[in-house]
Amino acid sequence: MIIDIHTHPGFIQEISGDPKQIAFRRENMFLYKQHIWPLELFLKQMDAAGIDCSVLLPEDMTTRAGNAVVTNDEIAALVSLCPDRLIGFASVDPHRDDALEVLERAFSEQKLMGLKLNPSSQGFMPTDPIMKPIYETCIRYNKPILFHAGMTWIKNSSSKYSRPTVFEDVALDYPEMRICLAHFGWPWVMETAMLTLKYPNVYADTALLYFDSPKQFFRTTFNQQLGEYWIDRMLYDKVMFGSNYPRIEQKRMINAVNELTLRPKQKQMVLGGNAARFIGLEG
Amino acid sequence: MVKHYETFVMTEDEYCYQYIGDMVKGFVKDSGIQSGIVTVVTAHTNTGIIVTEPLDCILSDLDVLLHQLVKDDAEYSHAHFLNTYGRTSANAYGHLRSILTGNSCIFPIQQGKMLMGEAQEIVFMEYDGPQNRKVFVDVIGD
Repeated sequence: MIIDIHTHPGFIQEISGDPKQIAFRRENMFLYKQHIWPLELFLKQMDAAGIDCSVLLPEDMTTRAGNAVVTNDEIAALVSLCPDRLIGFASVDPHRDDALEVLERAFSEQKLMGLKLNPSSQGFMPTDPIMKPIYETCIRYNKPILFHAGMTWIKNSSSKYSRPTVFEDVALDYPEMRICLAHFGWPWVMETAMLTLKYPNVYADTALLYFDSPKQFFRTTFNQQLGEYWIDRMLYDKVMFGSNYPRIEQKRMINAVNELTLRPKQKQMVLGGNAARFIGLEG
Repeated sequence: MVKHYETFVMTEDEYCYQYIGDMVKGFVKDSGIQSGIVTVVTAHTNTGIIVTEPLDCILSDLDVLLHQLVKDDAEYSHAHFLNTYGRTSANAYGHLRSILTGNSCIFPIQQGKMLMGEAQEIVFMEYDGPQNRKVFVDVIGD
């Protein structure tokens, strides 16, 4: 099964009825000209890319921006329309007074499968004590966390909150909690390689594209900045295919992954097996 | 008089085509215009509108030709992040194929009917799908 661990569904028509909310999303997601299209088209695009399931990521910016760019309710609503193809994650702004209630509801009632956090846009250090009850809730429900890691495009947000090494103490203190460093922590990809190499609970995704075409950027990142065989020989069980849709089309990103130096079994794990284990779809 | 129509074509794949002649004829009929012209224009820069014979072999030859002329993975200057979009453009090949095939066609209307050669069909070409594509059809005349 091929799983895209990293998609942003904020412009799918079924949750895009309010023009003010769309304007808010365009501004706060740094996707200024993004079109709205129906879920039917998103599914066709997944089909064309050969993707079986996509993980839908919300983002709660309540205390910073006054709203969530996509709410947990909207994620749950989309998943209910196509539960065989869509996997919903939750988001919670750690600074909300009711953060734990939101998270409890997301896991217990809305049946969301993991948590998306963005330290840069949500303005927290991953090691901040306010995160302890959130991490403990994830552990209690056996839900993974996908952290935005590395550079952020979001205005007035600093990448210092998301540099890969700031997650090391989280990996150390919560070894039973699976975490993913999204975007491979670019530009600090070597730090991400170190963390995924060392910590069994640290994963990374391939949702990185900052220069060039996907194939060219992957060649630069994975074949030149990192060793060409590092994923194939060591990190094959820690790296997950993610596209960052709609910042780039899924088809282009999966084509780039398909050109990485990976043997068939390793490629299968990167394209879906690791995500299934990370999310908890296996056993 | 001008009757303006906008319609959508939801495409199914990265590169594909759809025959849209019957759809255009339907707009001509709806317009009530007896004598004039009809224009068909795609609203996008990585799609095309062509007129050809609706034979699989011809469309297959066009597929081969466009992919020979415009490679998917050449060193395109257009492959970079666009700050005004917040997205990366990596679809130069779609734009270039679109430029080669053009974005529109035109047919005469007489006695309320679109005049086409026996072998002609209007074909919507997708070069960067699947997408929901907008097509403008304008019926102009009396």
